[in-house]
Amino acid sequence: MSAVTPLLEGRGVTKRFGGLEAVKAVDFKVMPNEIVGLIGPNGSGKTTLFDCLSRVQAIDEGSVHFQGIDITRLKPHQVAHMGMSRTFQVIRVYRKLTLLENMQVSRQWRGENLWSQMRPSHKDVEERSRDLINFLRLEHLTNEPAGTLSGGQRRLLELGMALMPDPELILLDEAASGINPTLVEEIKDRIKTLNQEQGKAFLVVEHDMHFISDLCNRVYVLNYGEKLAEGTPAEVMENEAVIEAYFGS
Amino acid sequence: MTVPPNRPPTKSRLVLLVALLVVLAALPIVMTVFPDQTWVTNSRLFSFTQMFMLITLTSNWNLTGGFTGYVDFGHAVFFGIGAYGTGIFMNEAWPFWPSMLAGAVLAAVFALIIGYPTLRLKGPYFSIAMLGMFVAMREIVRVAKPLTGGGVGLTLPPYLNRPLFYYVTFFLAVLVVGIMWWIRRSEFGATLIAIREDEVGAEMRGINTTVNKIAAFVLAGFLTGIVGGLWAYQNTFIDPDGVFFPSRTVELVMMAMLGGLGTVAGPVVGATTIYWMRDVVWANLAEWHLFAEGMLMILIVLYAPQGIMGKLGDRSGTSLLRVWRNPLRRSALEEVPEDEVSV
Amino acid sequence: MDLFLQALINGVMLGGFYAAMMLGFSVIWGVMGVINLAHGEMIMVGAYLSWLLNEHVGMDPFASLLIVMPVMFIIGYVLQLILINRVVDRPILVSLLVTFGLSIAISNLVNVIFSADPRLTDTALEGAWSVGNVTFPVTKTAIMGVALLIMTSLWLFLQKTRTGKSIRAAAQNKQAARIVGIDINKIYALTFGICIAITGAAGAIISPTQAIFPFMGVPLTLRAFTITALAGLGSIPGALFGGIVLGIVESMIGVYVSGIGTNLAIIASFVLLVVILITRPQGLFGGLRPIEEPVQL
Repeated sequence: MSAVTPLLEGRGVTKRFGGLEAVKAVDFKVMPNEIVGLIGPNGSGKTTLFDCLSRVQAIDEGSVHFQGIDITRLKPHQVAHMGMSRTFQVIRVYRKLTLLENMQVSRQWRGENLWSQMRPSHKDVEERSRDLINFLRLEHLTNEPAGTLSGGQRRLLELGMALMPDPELILLDEAASGINPTLVEEIKDRIKTLNQEQGKAFLVVEHDMHFISDLCNRVYVLNYGEKLAEGTPAEVMENEAVIEAYFGS
Repeated sequence: MTVPPNRPPTKSRLVLLVALLVVLAALPIVMTVFPDQTWVTNSRLFSFTQMFMLITLTSNWNLTGGFTGYVDFGHAVFFGIGAYGTGIFMNEAWPFWPSMLAGAVLAAVFALIIGYPTLRLKGPYFSIAMLGMFVAMREIVRVAKPLTGGGVGLTLPPYLNRPLFYYVTFFLAVLVVGIMWWIRRSEFGATLIAIREDEVGAEMRGINTTVNKIAAFVLAGFLTGIVGGLWAYQNTFIDPDGVFFPSRTVELVMMAMLGGLGTVAGPVVGATTIYWMRDVVWANLAEWHLFAEGMLMILIVLYAPQGIMGKLGDRSGTSLLRVWRNPLRRSALEEVPEDEVSV
Repeated sequence: MDLFLQALINGVMLGGFYAAMMLGFSVIWGVMGVINLAHGEMIMVGAYLSWLLNEHVGMDPFASLLIVMPVMFIIGYVLQLILINRVVDRPILVSLLVTFGLSIAISNLVNVIFSADPRLTDTALEGAWSVGNVTFPVTKTAIMGVALLIMTSLWLFLQKTRTGKSIRAAAQNKQAARIVGIDINKIYALTFGICIAITGAAGAIISPTQAIFPFMGVPLTLRAFTITALAGLGSIPGALFGGIVLGIVESMIGVYVSGIGTNLAIIASFVLLVVILITRPQGLFGGLRPIEEPVQL
């Protein structure tokens, strides 16, 4: 079997806040078309790692490569242009813009100049926005300001916004938290479809173990900023160290 | 088109708007055709001219302040640069139009230069930095005597033609409001609002926030510079204290807030309201009107931050409190308070 | 060399005054999270009060402090209760706008009452001392002396008295202060009153040397902001340091750039402000608490 370049690879990623090492020399990789889980107790460094990957936090040591390219020092919007999107633990949608506008504004901006933005809008962008809104089954809310949506609907919208630039890899930060089970099933279903039909890869931070075991091929476990274990969901859930980390000995 | 969250205006509203514009356009004609009536006079035209200029200025301010969320306390600095640019060039025997354009270009260039450092500052720091810019420019103008006439001031070639100024400023106001309406419906407008709502998130989603912010800032500066030039020509005389009068920069904030930040109609409503209040209500109180406006500002901020359009249900705008309370506006690079750390 | 020394001395004296002048602004910000853009107007009001006493009762501005300070304290206390209290728990920009409106209201009110004619007070302190080729004008030395007195008193008050410690506690952590039984509202009103009293005092003592007029406030507020950015919130040593730095900068420019020096000084202080905000926004000294991060992405 030929060696395939990992889609995303982190080597020795370290992030400090003053004296605290929030992420400690973490190695990981996501292969193309994989769905990888990232779990760990509260305070284990998951969201900080995400912030490093999307480059809103500086990486103190180590490196991150995306599609073979070193992104360790790039700016956030540059990483977004390369094909990596994310969603957020605390939902970030543009509350005063409509769903449609939220989607349009999240499109692929690479290579655009300001002048083209002044035009009413691109037909293809609008079409894609509407398609994605339909895919997420939110068509009835297309012209509503995002601020009026429920939490679960906003999570779906965020997913849609992350999909607009047609990324290779999507970082999902607790996409299922705080929303009702039916919608969680929806989201899982959409992720599976995107993965199987469009070949998209996902790195998923989640607390809900059913979500993880249902979706992920592989899982990494973090504890106190360090990688504690890795393997299939089943392997990880039986790992003694992991159980101890979550529940104490 | 991006679709702002309000229903499109009904047909009757559009008809009303067009009728109003036609009436306004016709006023100078009325004056020539019926010279004996007392309502439409040169003085009235002058009065309306000031109002059109206020509408334009407030709309410009709203682009940076209302749409993008960068509340500029010193926006009138561009007005001043436009005024002085026009004055200086006209004193070099340039005709008016090129002078005014040159003044506006100067204002735009200045916006470009100071945009980079100041637009990196957050909320109150940006506001105060711009206020400082305004005050500093007043002194720079005073100091650059050979160029600007210093404290003594500059005189422009006199030109009295009330109807012409009326039409030019009327046209400018309509044009600028039209531009703002267009921007609001374009992706640029949605992008600016995205930056206002969540600048870090926008950056993470691939929006080059720096370029967009600066573009809005420069455009606003340029358009304001134009008004400065027109004002200077009509006033015939400019001096540092008259041009860089503190209330000029404050009133823009107040009118935009009163009308409704981040809406297209807001600046028009706000400027017109304040203008009529000055003309009608406070005309009798003369010197007290600035005092009253200071108090009004306090009242608006405390009790009606979403402005008139906000109260009328315009959902596309925002209120002062939202712009700065939104926790997502916090930079991702700063230390997060302990109780909010989530790793 | 003598000129340089003189400029330096002048700068230090000016700086000492600036430090006392801006302390009120800095402490209010540090304790209450309120940026008081009407700060300059408070200086102006203190100056006018002093002038009124000087004009109608013949009181020396330095002596008038005995009346000006209590009056300004009351003004501050009341202002806090009826207005500032409403913006304390809101985003900082609300305080900015409200106090900006207040600044417009106050300066124009004074303009209506007293007109824009510049006023000056007379003081009995005249003449100057000479040490070598450097002169120390008596008035300016007295100003510096009063300024240092104010700063020391405030420092002692905040460090040594129970109320002062409560104020510092409230600045650090409002919730914790409440829990240990500190009446936050009263602390805020007291703090504001004290700060306005100090600020008014600064206006009173400057009145013999500088023409006072209703719109003198804004450049003073900007200076206060600059020094706060240099010094850190509520830091008295920082204020002294920052004030002197600014004082020396302005003095040097004033002496070495003839004709336009004073105007350039204002520009210089503003440039300094922007430079500080961008390079070292948390100030050089700790102060009561760190300034909220002024720069983003």
